[in-house]
Amino acid sequence: MSLLRYVRRLNALQGHQHCRREVSSAPAKSATLKYDQDPQPLFTDSETQRLLQSMTQLQLDKVFRKRTVKDNRSETKFMTNEQLETEFLQIIEKAKHLLKMPPIVKIKQDTERIIAKDPALKDFATTKYVFTDITFGLPHSERKVVVRETDGTLAYASLDTTKRMNQLYFPLEGRKSYTPRMFAYEELLHKCLEEHKYEFVLDRLTVQYEPYETEFHNLSARVFEHLNESKQFDLLRSTRHFGPMAFFYAWHRCIDDLLYDMIRRDYLHNAVELIALTYKIHKIPVEYTETLAKLEALHPTPDVSALSELRGFLRRPEEKQGIEQEIQTAIGKTEQDFAADDISLKFIEEYIASEHSLKKVQLELAVQTLKEINLEKLQLFQGLKKAHGVQAS
Amino acid sequence: MLPIARGIYNGLASITRNSRGALHTASAFRCKAETAAATENEAEAVDGEEEPKSSGPDPKDRTQVIPVETSIRYLKSVAYKETYGDDFVWSQYRRNHKGMYAPRKTRKTCIRQGKISTGNPCPICRDEYLVLDYRNTELLEQFISPHNGEVLSYSKTGLCQKSHLRLRVAVEQARDSGLITYDVPFREYDYNEFYGQQKS
Repeated sequence: MSLLRYVRRLNALQGHQHCRREVSSAPAKSATLKYDQDPQPLFTDSETQRLLQSMTQLQLDKVFRKRTVKDNRSETKFMTNEQLETEFLQIIEKAKHLLKMPPIVKIKQDTERIIAKDPALKDFATTKYVFTDITFGLPHSERKVVVRETDGTLAYASLDTTKRMNQLYFPLEGRKSYTPRMFAYEELLHKCLEEHKYEFVLDRLTVQYEPYETEFHNLSARVFEHLNESKQFDLLRSTRHFGPMAFFYAWHRCIDDLLYDMIRRDYLHNAVELIALTYKIHKIPVEYTETLAKLEALHPTPDVSALSELRGFLRRPEEKQGIEQEIQTAIGKTEQDFAADDISLKFIEEYIASEHSLKKVQLELAVQTLKEINLEKLQLFQGLKKAHGVQAS
Repeated sequence: MLPIARGIYNGLASITRNSRGALHTASAFRCKAETAAATENEAEAVDGEEEPKSSGPDPKDRTQVIPVETSIRYLKSVAYKETYGDDFVWSQYRRNHKGMYAPRKTRKTCIRQGKISTGNPCPICRDEYLVLDYRNTELLEQFISPHNGEVLSYSKTGLCQKSHLRLRVAVEQARDSGLITYDVPFREYDYNEFYGQQKS
């Protein structure tokens, strides 16, 4: 308690100093890109969700990275193979839960709703009275908070007050009652972004603000814009923020950098999904469902591939793999992958040729390099198969 | 016989004189820090302090306020590297106590009335160029546990109570300013609240 008091006192002191020192720096300038319509229906659409989830990928190492949390114990258990199998399924479920995207909704406007005006109560007290319904188990949006003003008006509380009251009676872990300095001061936020602490900033944003708040939209847009310039997309891959990021770029028609990154890292099916998402959002009349369906048949969903990765640990080393499997692991691609790559490359090239892409030269180069590498791999693959006498299927 | 004995005595005397500023006292650190730091500011300080060596500035004097910027530069300097190596600031420190077990709490403060009032000041107080401030992240990170992300206890680091409080305050401020990252608790969303009943 004494620590808290001390911090608060110091904060107050330094806040004053800050203000005096940097009068010029405006607190958190706003982003240039905004959602002009309600993005929620498009975002919650099941197909969009599927595309975004597939783009996010599921890298177990990254989802379950070592966190500095209070309880960091690990448990060792003996299990039968069946138990292990159920455990694997549970792990995948848990990972999917951790990757659930924060909602994207439109900014909620504050409306004044007056319940009653009682002039007789004027000057009954010198302060406002806030009444909060603290029934257990109510969702926060349904909790009633009303304010009796000093002039006798009884009205529903503003969103800000409601949030504060909710935090007071049902505190959310990690949320501060004041605006964190990181978000309040432009230079601190800028420093965080320059150091590529994107995940940290976004995590903190989700905890501190509700998705319908202006600050949430502003700050997340700023992070995504900065990310689009620094091109460190891999930092967010396989986190819960990758989906909203891709959606943001697709909405504002600036997917080219992300697309380039995906092609360079050989995530071609993701690139196709991203293009398809753009077509879907802007209702561009290009047929993409067919390509997607084809790709889906050839490519496992992220949770399936993660599950097979988990099962891979279980295989005993002496268990003999087929020669075909060995060739595949050596090259890193299967025959299906090559087929899928062909389909997706065709789709991507169509996109690059169309008027929707902005950085054509860069993308074309990336595609060309990838094609060459792929061709080499394919030749090696076929050569190895021939040498081992595996029948071409 | 006598000259030999005198020679031995002189040798012994010089050894003791050299090692008098034992490794853990501030004066040794300060001398090293100042000789090796190549920046102008510190060079000035060295000149200023080395001239009146006969009278000598009090090595226990802590009234001079060292700015954080100096401290940040010091942590990157060769002098720092020489004194502490790759270890943490606190890892070589040992508490003095009577009996087998150390008292549960460390001393209240090492510095009284602007002077070091103890023979074995804590790792922060012994080196005046270690300034606890929220901008000095390199120093603060040495006191954060890699396992649970909390500030290490004074029973481990040996900080005096006053320094420990200042450390905790600085770490909290640094986290709030986003200078030190930590694992933010996972926010669970009730999606029905935001989307209506469309999504389960």
